[in-house]
Amino acid sequence: MRTSLFIIIVLASGAFAGLIHGVTNLVIVEPYLDQAIGIENQNLFASGEEEDTLEFWIEYEGYRSWQKSGQVLAGVILGTSIGSLFGIVFALSKYSLPGRNNVKKALVLAGIMWLTLYFIPFLKYPANPPTVGDTDTVVLRAMLYVLFIAVSGFAALGCYKLSKKLENKKKIMALVGYAAFISAVFVVMPNNPDKVSAPMDLVDGFRIVSVIGVSSFWVSIAVILGLLWNRFDPEKIAKTNSHS
Amino acid sequence: MSESRQVTVSKKGVPIIAIVALAIVFAAGLFVVGFDQGHIFSVVYGEQAYVDLYIHELTHDMRHAAGFPCH
Repeated sequence: MRTSLFIIIVLASGAFAGLIHGVTNLVIVEPYLDQAIGIENQNLFASGEEEDTLEFWIEYEGYRSWQKSGQVLAGVILGTSIGSLFGIVFALSKYSLPGRNNVKKALVLAGIMWLTLYFIPFLKYPANPPTVGDTDTVVLRAMLYVLFIAVSGFAALGCYKLSKKLENKKKIMALVGYAAFISAVFVVMPNNPDKVSAPMDLVDGFRIVSVIGVSSFWVSIAVILGLLWNRFDPEKIAKTNSHS
Repeated sequence: MSESRQVTVSKKGVPIIAIVALAIVFAAGLFVVGFDQGHIFSVVYGEQAYVDLYIHELTHDMRHAAGFPCH
């Protein structure tokens, strides 16, 4: 494998998929964030911590514009990061994945990783808009979230290894094993300790667009990496044979 | 008389150096977007970085949107 080409296509596909994620969020998630931060502002006015003045709103609009540009930048950084993990796993598992071309193989892998590393952890610890979340519990919540993702990911890996050792008809047992294990972990791990104090229609709407945004990343990374792999194939090496 | 011919071969296997490099990008990017609370800039700005929370504020919207605990 050509190492530098492999790294370049993985980083490029991650960055571009992250850009798509960031722009998608800009369009569909930002209205919910603005609404939630609007509630925070009203709470600040009510408590007297801030005054509802023109100066406040000028400063606020400037700050929010900066944060919204950060949404896209963070999308590229996060995409490059998660894309790197995706690239490693794709390269290591490519010959075990179903599908006749690299795009289909990448889509299958992205589906598995979306489910085990994002969606199942999301069901346990769903995304919340601003106004929800106690600053004092942020470290605990971060630890729980990362732990759940790690447990789910390693359980999926373990079940994949197990399935390789089982006969064809028994491979389904590995899937059943993962489902049983992660269900037990789901029940055993503590819930998010914070109460949801924001209106539930805002919270539910935010969670739906959050899932759409993250899903746009996983579809994008699979298609882009698959296409780039088809086009540049880092496993192909040109050799010159000399003979007389 | 000698002649040279170029052939294309397929070489499987993922170089360890590539895995290590990408794993570093993965961990660093995840920390920046998902978890930094002033830690990175504290190397330069000291305790003030934990007050300013520059990276936290810049990645704030993506943190919420991607499901990371933010505040």
